Amino acid sequence: MAYQTPETLKYTKEHEWASFENNIITIGITDYAQSQLGDIVFVELPEIGQELAENSSFGVVESIKSVSDLYCPVSGTVIEINEELESGPELLNEAPYQNWLIRLKVENDTEYNLLLDSGSYSELCTE
Amino acid sequence: MKKTELHSIHVELKAKLAPFAGYEMPIQYTSVKEEVLAVRNKSGIFDVSHMGEFFVTGPDAAAFVDYLLTNDFLNSPVGKAVYSPLCNNQGKIIDDLIAYKLGAEKVLICVNAANIEKDWSWIVQQKGQFNVELVDKSSDYSLIALQGPESCKVLTQLSLNDMDELPYYGAVETTFQEHDIIVARTGYTGEDGFEIFIPNKLAKTMWALMVEAGGLPCGLAARDVLRLEVCYPLYGHELNEEITPLDSGLKWTVKMDKAQFMGKDALEAATPKYRLVKLSLDKGIPREGYSILNNEGTAIGKVTSGTMSVSTGKGIALALVERKLFPENKEFIISIRNKEYHANYHTKPFYNGGHK
Repeated sequence: MAYQTPETLKYTKEHEWASFENNIITIGITDYAQSQLGDIVFVELPEIGQELAENSSFGVVESIKSVSDLYCPVSGTVIEINEELESGPELLNEAPYQNWLIRLKVENDTEYNLLLDSGSYSELCTE
Repeated sequence: MKKTELHSIHVELKAKLAPFAGYEMPIQYTSVKEEVLAVRNKSGIFDVSHMGEFFVTGPDAAAFVDYLLTNDFLNSPVGKAVYSPLCNNQGKIIDDLIAYKLGAEKVLICVNAANIEKDWSWIVQQKGQFNVELVDKSSDYSLIALQGPESCKVLTQLSLNDMDELPYYGAVETTFQEHDIIVARTGYTGEDGFEIFIPNKLAKTMWALMVEAGGLPCGLAARDVLRLEVCYPLYGHELNEEITPLDSGLKWTVKMDKAQFMGKDALEAATPKYRLVKLSLDKGIPREGYSILNNEGTAIGKVTSGTMSVSTGKGIALALVERKLFPENKEFIISIRNKEYHANYHTKPFYNGGHK
């Protein structure tokens, strides 16, 4: 089965995606991640205003039988969280690239540019 | 890693496989949610061939099994099964099992996969003067659990007719494609259903026919959700060799009026240390190992099993709480990643299955 990996996004080895616009980074989980997790039933996200360090854990996604940590691929300040996920965690299964998790204010795109591109990430999913 | 007779079918179905008690077992096929709902509303089939089968035969078969178990097996009629802990002489739980009285001198004991060797060596040691023959047939038998309200219908399509006449916890020896099999109206889901013990060579045929008749292949993840929704304990979680049946909600299986049984003296003298409680959350999901606190923040116990309940839509848990610290006000808090979640205390199972 082929997993979607849109070329406009960047990716992490922890199976998250990120996009960058005007020093704001949006983060979500990938198609591969949602497929591996199965039915997602609970999402825990940070508070708005929280400062996140690169590679720090910022929340969890839970399927019926598992708990997975979410890791922040860049450093920044949480300016928005996707509140729809509290009542609709299954949205991450239905459309993982439309339903983001958090938005961060960052200083520049240096850390973002170091993330994996679509091609490298796709290879990771087929290994 | 050991494989069951049905392993190649699980691979073909692209099930997620994982090690369980030394076997590579199917955890889920399509979706845990779909599999749970199939069992609650229609029918699901589980490969549980990893479980152990011991046969006890001879004039003292029933008396010997009765001596091994805390529950009453002696007075149970032929054709009926009994659920019971198997305890050591300290009253601690070696395993929990189902013993099927197939004949006046023939008993089948079905034990947990992880405990086969331990149970077998324990049972053999207890034989003493009992006039019985013990045979471990775990490797010769496959076990398929067919569970859900449409289970009888599925069996009819396999030409296993009249199974609806079998009572809950009834067991019968019959034939399937000219081979001897054992059909029992038991299960681990709370729904009506059957556990079918078959020689290995019949397993693939029976599985395929059940799928054709509408049985949805279900994995061990769905099985765990189903048993937890109806509050059945699982060895290694709610039950272990450190505690007695009195610690873990199984007082009903300990028959002190029996003349003698393994662990009786210890259980008579025992002061239970724990109490098994049922808790649910409106938000959040309890998981094994999470701490239980009282409303003053004191740790009073731990979650032994937790999951998202598909049938109720809530996070549910069984937890062992220290009796001395049991909160009279029934206020329980579950600590999840250093946050406190108020739990609902339940006196009844989270879900009522439809079994007979």
